[in-house]
This record gives sequence, structure tokens and C-alpha cells, in this order.
Amino acid sequence: MIRTALLIFRNEFRLLLRDRMSIFMLFMAPVVIIAVAGFSLGNMFGAPAGGRKYLIPIVDRDHGEIARAIVHGMSQDSRLRLVNAADETAARTILAKNDDAPIAIVIPAGTTASFSAGRGSDVIIYVDPVKRVEAYALELRLTEVSRAIAMAARDRAQARLVRARAGIDAKTGNLRAQFDELKKEIAEYQAHAEAARASLQKKMAAEIDARLAQIEAQSHAALAAALRARQLEIAAKLGEKQTATAAMVSYLKNLEAARSAFELWFGRLQAVAGSHAAEISSPPAWPPPPNPRVIAELKEPIKLSFNPNDIAMPAPNLRFNLPAPEPLKFPPLALDLKQMAPGPAIALPGVIGWRDRSLTPGYAEVNSFDQYVPGFGITFLLIDILWGVSVGLIDERDWGTLQRLRVSGAPISGLLSGKLTARFLIGFVQMVVLLGVGRLLFGISLGESPAMLLLPTAAIAFSAAAFGLVIAVIARTRDSVLPLGSVGAMTMSAVGGCWWPLNFEPAWMRAAAQWIPTTWTMRAYNDLMIRGLPPAHALKPAVITFGLGLAFLGLGMLGAMRGLD
Amino acid sequence: MHCTFRRLWTARLCCNIRGVSSPGPLVRVSELRKSYGSRLVLDNVSFDVAAGEIVGLLGPNGAGKTTTLSILATLRNPDAGNVTIAGHDLRREPRAVRRRLGLAPQSIAIYPSLSAFQNVELFARIHGLTAAAARSATAAALEIVGLDERAHESAATLSGGMRRRVNLACAMVHRPEILLLDEPTVGVDPQSRERILQILRELAVSGIAVIYSTHYMEEVERLCDKVLLIDRGRLLAEGPVAELVSRAGSRHRMELALRGRPPADLYAGLTGVEPIVSGAGDDRVILMLADLGKVAEVLERARAAGFPAIEFNLHSPNLSDAFMTLTGRALRDYSENHG
Repeated sequence: MIRTALLIFRNEFRLLLRDRMSIFMLFMAPVVIIAVAGFSLGNMFGAPAGGRKYLIPIVDRDHGEIARAIVHGMSQDSRLRLVNAADETAARTILAKNDDAPIAIVIPAGTTASFSAGRGSDVIIYVDPVKRVEAYALELRLTEVSRAIAMAARDRAQARLVRARAGIDAKTGNLRAQFDELKKEIAEYQAHAEAARASLQKKMAAEIDARLAQIEAQSHAALAAALRARQLEIAAKLGEKQTATAAMVSYLKNLEAARSAFELWFGRLQAVAGSHAAEISSPPAWPPPPNPRVIAELKEPIKLSFNPNDIAMPAPNLRFNLPAPEPLKFPPLALDLKQMAPGPAIALPGVIGWRDRSLTPGYAEVNSFDQYVPGFGITFLLIDILWGVSVGLIDERDWGTLQRLRVSGAPISGLLSGKLTARFLIGFVQMVVLLGVGRLLFGISLGESPAMLLLPTAAIAFSAAAFGLVIAVIARTRDSVLPLGSVGAMTMSAVGGCWWPLNFEPAWMRAAAQWIPTTWTMRAYNDLMIRGLPPAHALKPAVITFGLGLAFLGLGMLGAMRGLD
Repeated sequence: MHCTFRRLWTARLCCNIRGVSSPGPLVRVSELRKSYGSRLVLDNVSFDVAAGEIVGLLGPNGAGKTTTLSILATLRNPDAGNVTIAGHDLRREPRAVRRRLGLAPQSIAIYPSLSAFQNVELFARIHGLTAAAARSATAAALEIVGLDERAHESAATLSGGMRRRVNLACAMVHRPEILLLDEPTVGVDPQSRERILQILRELAVSGIAVIYSTHYMEEVERLCDKVLLIDRGRLLAEGPVAELVSRAGSRHRMELALRGRPPADLYAGLTGVEPIVSGAGDDRVILMLADLGKVAEVLERARAAGFPAIEFNLHSPNLSDAFMTLTGRALRDYSENHG
């Protein structure tokens, strides 16, 4: 068993060594694809492949420090080559005509002033939307430059702030010392004031006691005088009242006697009148005599109550002169507040940003499917047509139908034309369907005139069919078509910008790409779908694609005539 | 069968017959030479084929049969020599030549995904028949090869023998004057083989010249009017089968398996018996017999010596023997293909 295994093991290598196509697939094909991808995708990681430099037109309308700093910062990047453009039109022209120019930078007037004043200012960037990814990388670079400028400005402002802070700290220390001195003086003043207050309080207490004694004596004298005067007055008043009362009592007694006399007179009158007595009206009634108790009251002596309030007290003389306090020595205020006056204003740096503008009528931002639907559509179109044409022809050769067709009198050109036309049509329909699906599912742009997309589509389908013939002639066997065809299709797709924008690639690869049809087809698709350019822009790429297809067709037909049997 | 064939062929296809354009041979090959690099594959090969003649190209693999047919079919150019077909020079008038040819290549040259009818009709149209004529000729050709009932089935679903018959139908649908057949019965079941051979006979009877390349000796012996015995690019002999077989002599070959291991001189002294293989200690013996009457003597000698025969085979002279006589070697692959 081990012997068998060893023999089979050895035989496998012998078979492999005799199969050049397998060796190609094992080692060369991956290297080709890796190389293409590596060269092409290098600048996704921030560096253009192949030592080329990005060309960046710059329009400086600011002519200030910030503009110079931006230009200087960008020029320090070895990947970049800056050129001055007179105006935006010139910059956009450079951008449109150079594959190496993904963006143009316009520094508006007043950028430096705005930045210095702490305000935001935007640099304008014109972007070729097809070179969006590179534009991102360069915008990142611009961000770094802007940040460096802002950082430098911030550092300068920081240094100024530090210096200002030190000045303020010194002034504050000085003030603090002054305040300490002042505090000490105030404490002394407070002690002095306290002593003065105690002395004054003592003097005031003595004075008040003296004054209170004086007031007391004066009050006693005034009260005694008032009592005596009142007593005299009351006695006088009582004498007068008693005299009047005696007169009244006498009158009342007379009046009583008069009433008794009247009643007697009236009795007699009535008696005299006889029968006419009834006609005599009753005399008015005599007022009844006062209550004897009231009359008796008049005899009672008058009792006086004494209200001290009624006594006019002499106003105390509280007006006195305090002793003059000892003059206080108020400490002099030695604070030099003038030194705290604010210094010149320190402005913080502003912000440098940017705004994107599309180079073309299309959008600055790209729907990635605008790249990938046509790109991968072309890849699969190539593979499918390649498979159909190459494998179809090789199958026919292997089956013997090709020989039979030739013996049947069919010219090889007619046979190939029929096959290629059919495959062309299939590829054309495939691409149209893919674009339609891309529109429906992914919202890709079909440009101003979707019908114009049919022109590059027809061109690439034709070229792919012709290329399939070339592969069929070269590959010779079915097993060879797969490696040769797939590597050919993938390489053409990759180099031609189907998988990534063409300008990702190094210069030599882009130069080579000019000779493959995918490059021109993708250019036409990009112009129509992404850049939104007028339909006429697709004419030249489509014609070149057709031309390359014709060259493939010529080579393929030549090879087929010589060896496709 | 014959009546049906002729009726179909003459009724539907006779309009395509261009007839023999000259009284001479329909195919004339003179001093044909062809090399692939430094390897000479055809070396001054010359032969003629007449209308209605079935010519067998017999030789081992690599003898040059397919190259000869490829040159006749205009698929390859000879390095030297001349070929005229129906009076047309192969190099100068390839289109005229092709119109007169039908080729059934060694591989089954049909489209697997198409039906038998579609395959045959396609080649009819390629040969220039109108749509209606192509349909009619296709139906006739498929009926001739016995596939009319399965005409619309995908070729991939047909058996190998049926596909071979479709292959033949494609070659003859346009009624060629010359039919080139390259190993048309390889891998075919006996029934289909018989059918194909019968068709070819009928085609020859109808005037078509058939050049039949094979390494199946029996087919050549049964079918061909003339045999071209070819090896290593050289035409060793040509002529009717009987004539070539006679070159191998009239002796019969007898192969015996004996019980035990007889001595080498077991058959010494027997007249008309020549040992070819009788090594000492070998239980298998090959003898050449002058006539079949020697068989009994051989068996008796072995039995008497104590080595009775277990089995024996008798082999009369044939083309393989003629080939061995001419080249000293057996027809390669003969046994494998008949094993």
C-alpha cells in the first residue's frame, strides 16, 4: 500500500510538471492577480502605487498665512505635486484632463482673517466623483494639514495664555501681599477703635447718670409745685360752687313756698268761680322738686382725683456733648488696582474645514453601485462570453463538429461570425439586464440618456466576443480556457478599472490599460453614469472599444484560420 | 430494408447527386506526403477509389489513416502529392471538393444538447440545402439509420451506437459522392454495427464511394471491396481482401493448451506442421498447419506423449496475417479492440 501511495504521490507531481497550465494556475495566476490588486488598491491604504504623484491644482484667493500654511503643508507630502491655478476654471480644467488629479483646492479670500478671528472657514475642494476614494485620502491629508495649522495656532495661543497667566499670577501675588498688609492694619485699627469705644462708653455712662439725677430732682420739684397749685385752684373752685349751691337751695325753697301758695290760690279761685269752676282750665303742673338725695349731694365736698399726666413735667435736658474721641489712624489703602487692568485680548484660533463640489454636473458623492454594477457586469460579461466563445469553439473542436462544419463547406469566417454574433448578442442582453437590475435594486444612475449606455455596452460585448476567440486560439484545450480565460478576464477587469477606479493604478498599469477595451468601456460608463456628462462623451471610448475589439477579432480570425482544427 | 433505403434515397436525395464527373477514379491520391514536425506520418501514399467502391484503410493506430482522411476532407494540407476528387484538385478547389464529401469523424461529431433531428438538419442546412429540403433529407437520413422514432430526443440521451448512427446520418444527409468514415463503429454495440455496415453497403450500391478507416479487420474483410494496408505512413499493399490475405499464405495457425509441459520436439517429424511457439516447459503451443487435416495428427501426437490437449483454436489466414507477413509485426491494438 505504501509503495502504491508513493508511486501515486510521485506520479501526481509528474502529471503536474507536465501540465503547464496547472502550474500557471498554481503560481502565476495568483501572482498576476495579487500584483494587479496590490498595485491597484495600494492607494486605498493612502499611497499611490508605482511612485506616481497626485497632481493638485490650488487656487489661492486668500494670499494669507493660512493659505501659505496649507500649501506648505500639502507640499510636504511626497505623494503630492501642487500646481498653482489662476482661478477655479483653470483648476477644474487641470482636474478634468489629468487622471492623476483627484481634487482641486480653492482657498477663498479672507480665510486667514476668519481663522485668526476664531471663526470657521471652509476651503473649497473640487472632486472628480470617479476618483472619490482618492479624494477621501487627500481630504484626509488636508485634514491633517488643517489640524497641524490649527494645532500650531493653538500652541501659539496657549503660549500667550501661559504668559498672560504668569503676569496675572504675579499681580495676584502682589495684591495678596497688599491685602495681608491691609488686613494687619485693619486689625490694629479695630483694636484702637475698641479702646476708644470703651473709653467713650465709660464717659457716656457717667454723663447719663448725672443727667438722670438732675432729671429726677427737677421732676420732684415740678411735681410738688404742681400739686400746690392744684390744691389752691380746687379750693377756689369749691368755694365758688358752694356759694352757687347755697343760692340755688334758697331759690328752691322759695319756689316750694310759691307752689304751695299757688295751690291755695287756685283752690280759692275755683271756689269763687262756682259753677264756672269747671270752665277754668287746670294750671300748668309745677316741676317736681329735685331729689333730696341730689340736693344733699350738693352738700358733699368735692373729691378730686390726681392724674400725674396732667402734671406738666419739665422736659429733661438730655442734650449733652460727648467727649471728643481720640482721632483714629485709618491705615492707608495700598492696593494697586491699576495693575489688574486686562492686557490685550488673546484670540483662539478658528477652524479650517472644506466643502466638496463636484467637478461635473454629477454628484460629488457616488453611489458605489454606479461603479460596481457596470464594473462587475463587464467582468461577468467577459467571463460568460469568454466561456461561451472559447469553450464553445474548443468543445466543437473536441466533439469534431467544427471539423464537420468545415468539411460541410461552411467557411471558417462564417462559422466564427455566427458564433461571435450570437455571443455578442447574449453579452449585450446580459449587460442591459444587469444595468436594469442595478437601476431597480441599487438605484444606479443611468445618466442623462440611458439609451446612450447601449453604445459602450455593444462595444464591450463585441470586444469580449472577439477576445474569446483569441483565447480559444491560444488555449487550445478546454482545460486551458479556464485558467487563461479567467485570468485574462479578471486581469482585464481589474486593470481596466472595473473593480476600482482606474486612477488607483500606477502609471505603467494605466498606460497598459489604454490597450484593453474594459478601460474605455468603464470610462464611457463613468462619464455617463457617475460624472453625468452629456451622451457625446461616450462616443470616443465606445469607438476605441470597438477598435480594440476589431484588433482582437483580427488576431482571433488569423489564429483560427491557421490553427483552429 | 433495401427497398426502403433505395426508395428514400432516390426519392428524396437524388436531386443532390452530382454524379461521377469523369470516367476515371472518383478519388485519386498520388504520392501523398505529410509530416508533423520531424515525424513523417504519410510517405508517398498513392491510391484510387472508384465510384460505388468501399475502400478500407486498415492499419494500427498511428499508421496514418486519420491523417489521410483529414487531407481528403480538406482539413489538412499535404506537404506533397496530389489529390483529386471527382476531378477537382484538393488544393485548388477545396470548396468543390467539400461539396462532394461527407465526413463521419472518429469522434461523434454532433451537438449533445441538440436532438438527433436538429443535428442532422443543421448539417444539411450548412451543406446548402433549403429548409424544406433539409427537413426532408434529415427525416430520410434518420429513417435510413433507424432513428426516425427517436429523432427528437436529445443526442445526449441516445446510446453510443445511436449517436454513431446520428454521426453517420450527419455525414450523408446531403448525399455526398464520397463518404469518409473514420473508425465509425468504435464503441458501438453489435446491432448498431451491423446496421451501419448495412447502410454503407447500400450507399455504395447507390454509387457513393466510401473510404473506411478502421483497425477492425473483420469489418474490412466483410465490407470492403478494396483494402489499403497502411503502417507508419506507408502504403504496404492494396487490393481486394482475398488478394491480400493470399499474401499471408494458405497455412492455418493452431494454438494448443496442453496438460503438462511437453518437450520442445514434441511435434518433430510431423510433415506439414511447423512449430512457431513450443518452448520447453511451456504448456501453450502455436503451430502452423499446411491443411486442416493435420489437426487430428497434432492432437494424437500430444495425447500419445502424455500431454493431452485441454483446448485448441484454429485460425485461418486473414488480413492480420497478411499484415504480419508484410511487416513482421502484428496489427497493434488488434487484440485489445477485440478483447
